[in-house]
Amino acid sequence: MADPAFLALSVLTIVSAIAALELRSLVYGAIALMGTLGGIAGFFLLLDSPFVAMFQIAVYVGSIAVLILFTVMLVRRELIFTKVEDPRRRLAGVGLMLVAMASLGAIVVHSGISGITTEEPAVDFRAIGADFLVRYWPALILMGLVLSGAVTGAMVLARREDTEDDQRAS
Amino acid sequence: MSVIAPRFKFSEFVKAIIENAFWIIVVTTLVGLPLAMIVLFYVDLPVIDGALVTPFLALTWLSHPELALPLLKSFLTSDAFRILAFPGFGFAALVAAGTIFVERKMLAKLQLRVGPFYCGKIEGILQLAGDGLKLISKEIIIPAKADKPLFIVAPLLFVGAAAAFVALIPVAPGWVVADVDVGLLAVFAVIGFFPIITVLSAWSANSKFPFIGGIRALYQMVSFEIPLILSCLGVVLLTGTLNLTEIAQSQAVIPWIVLMPIGAIVFFICMLAELERIPFDLPEAESEIVAGWLTEFSGMMYGLVQLGSYVKLYAFSALFVVLFLGGWSGPAFWPPLEESLLESGQELGPIRLQLPGLPLFSQEFFSAVIWFVLKTAAVIFFVLLPRGVFPRIRIDMLLRIGWYKLIALAFVNIFVALGLVYAGVVGPGGIF
Repeated sequence: MADPAFLALSVLTIVSAIAALELRSLVYGAIALMGTLGGIAGFFLLLDSPFVAMFQIAVYVGSIAVLILFTVMLVRRELIFTKVEDPRRRLAGVGLMLVAMASLGAIVVHSGISGITTEEPAVDFRAIGADFLVRYWPALILMGLVLSGAVTGAMVLARREDTEDDQRAS
Repeated sequence: MSVIAPRFKFSEFVKAIIENAFWIIVVTTLVGLPLAMIVLFYVDLPVIDGALVTPFLALTWLSHPELALPLLKSFLTSDAFRILAFPGFGFAALVAAGTIFVERKMLAKLQLRVGPFYCGKIEGILQLAGDGLKLISKEIIIPAKADKPLFIVAPLLFVGAAAAFVALIPVAPGWVVADVDVGLLAVFAVIGFFPIITVLSAWSANSKFPFIGGIRALYQMVSFEIPLILSCLGVVLLTGTLNLTEIAQSQAVIPWIVLMPIGAIVFFICMLAELERIPFDLPEAESEIVAGWLTEFSGMMYGLVQLGSYVKLYAFSALFVVLFLGGWSGPAFWPPLEESLLESGQELGPIRLQLPGLPLFSQEFFSAVIWFVLKTAAVIFFVLLPRGVFPRIRIDMLLRIGWYKLIALAFVNIFVALGLVYAGVVGPGGIF
C-alpha cells in the first residue's frame, strides 16, 4: 500500500530532523538539517512538482544550510550557549510535539484528504508563471518591492563604515 | 638469496598459490554464482530479435561478429552506457584528463618553458598516466585530529556532485543522461552543493590552511552564484524553457552569444570564479595558504578532488556551449552513407565486405558530437588561457567584482533580452 520511496523519504526526513536536534556536534547537526531539507525536496518530487523541488534544493540546501554552516564555523559555541540540561524540559518538549503531531494527524486523517484521487497532470511551471503575471500581479509587485527594499537595506548596512581603514584601496 | 624474503621456499610458494585457487573456486561456487543468479533475477534483460539475452546467450553471440553487432547496438542505447560511458562520466573524465595534459603543455608554451617532457618519447605524452600511477600508489594520510568520516567522504562527494552536473548536460539530440524538464534549475541545485562540500572538507581537516581556503571558497562560490544564475535568465526569457536540450535546439539559426554578449561574458567570468581558476584561485592560493582547502589531502584522495574539479570544468564549459554557443548545431560534416552500401555491401575486388546492422549511429549524431566537442574544447581553451596570463586578485576586489559589477551587468543583460522580446526580434513572428 505505502510507496517504498515515500517510506524511505519519511524515514530519512524524520531521522535526520531528530539528529539535527540531538547531535552534540553542531556541524553534524547542520548536515542532518540538510538531510531533512533534501528529504522535503524528495517529497516535492514525489508530488510531481520538480520545479518546487529544485528550488527547495537550490535555496534551502544550497543557501540556507550554507549560511548555518558558515555561522557555526565562525562562532565559538561556548560564547553563545550556556548549557542547561533539564530532563523535564526535554520530556515536556517531546510530549508537546507528540500532542501537536497527533492532533494534526487526526485532522488530516478525518478531513477526507486521504480519499482524494486525481488524474490531473503535473502543474507546469509556465502555468505558475502565467498565474503570477495575470491573476496575482499585485501580490507579485508587492513581493518585488519588499524584496528590493530588503536588498537595499542589506547593502546600506553592509556599506556602513564605522572604522577608518586606511589600508584598503578600492 | 633474496633479502626481502630470506626464508623463501618454492614449495611453500606453490602451496600458497594452490590454496588461494582452491578458496577462490569454493567461494565463487558457493557464494558468487548464487549471488549472480539472484541479481540476474531482478535485472531486466534486453530482448533482441525476439530472444531474451541471458549472459550465456550474450557470451555465445559475442563470438560471432554478425550476431555481436545487434548486441553492441542494444548496449549502446542502454541507460548503463549513457551513465557510465558516453554522455556521462566516462566521457567527461576523458575530456578532463585531456584538459590536464593540454593545460600543462599550453601553459609551458605560453611562459616559454618546456612542460612535461621526459615521460613518454613524444612531448611527455605519458606524463598523465605517470601522475595517475603515482597518486594511486601513494599512501593516504589522514591527519590525526581530523574529523575522519567527513574527511574521507568529502572527495567522493565532490566527484559525485561533478558527475551529477555532467549527467544534466546534453551532448547530441537525445544524448543526455537525465533529460529533465527543469534542467537549468537542476544545474543550479547541483552547483549549490559544491560550496557545502568544500567548506565541510576544509573544516574536517582541522588545520588552519584548509580552513582559510574553505572559507574563501565559500565566500567566492556563494557570491558568484547569484550573477551566474542571473546571466542565464536572459536565455531562459528568450527560449521560454528550462530544458537544456530545448535551449540548445532553439539556437539552430543563431547562437545566443550574438544577441546577448553581455550575458555570455558575465557567465564566463562567474564560471572562472566557480571553478576557482586563476585569476580567482584564492581558495587554492599556493603562495599564501599552501594549497588552500586541498592542503591535507594526499594520494588518491587528492586525485579524486582534482578529477572532480576538472570534470566540473568540462561540465561548466559544456553548459556555456549549450546556453550561448548553440550546443551541437553546425553544418553537417559529410553526407549520409549510400543506401546500396548498407544493403549490399562494398565490392572489394573478389570479395564483398558487408556488415549487417551498420551504421551504429546516424550521421547527424557524429556531426553533432564533433561540433559539440569542438566548441567545448574552444571554451576550455579560453578557461585555461588566463592562468598563463593573469596574476591572482585580492579577495575584496573579487567580492567587489561579484556583487557590484557582475550583478549589475547581469541585470543589463536581462533588460537586453526583454528588449529583444518586446522589439519583436525574438519570439513568435520575430526574425529568429
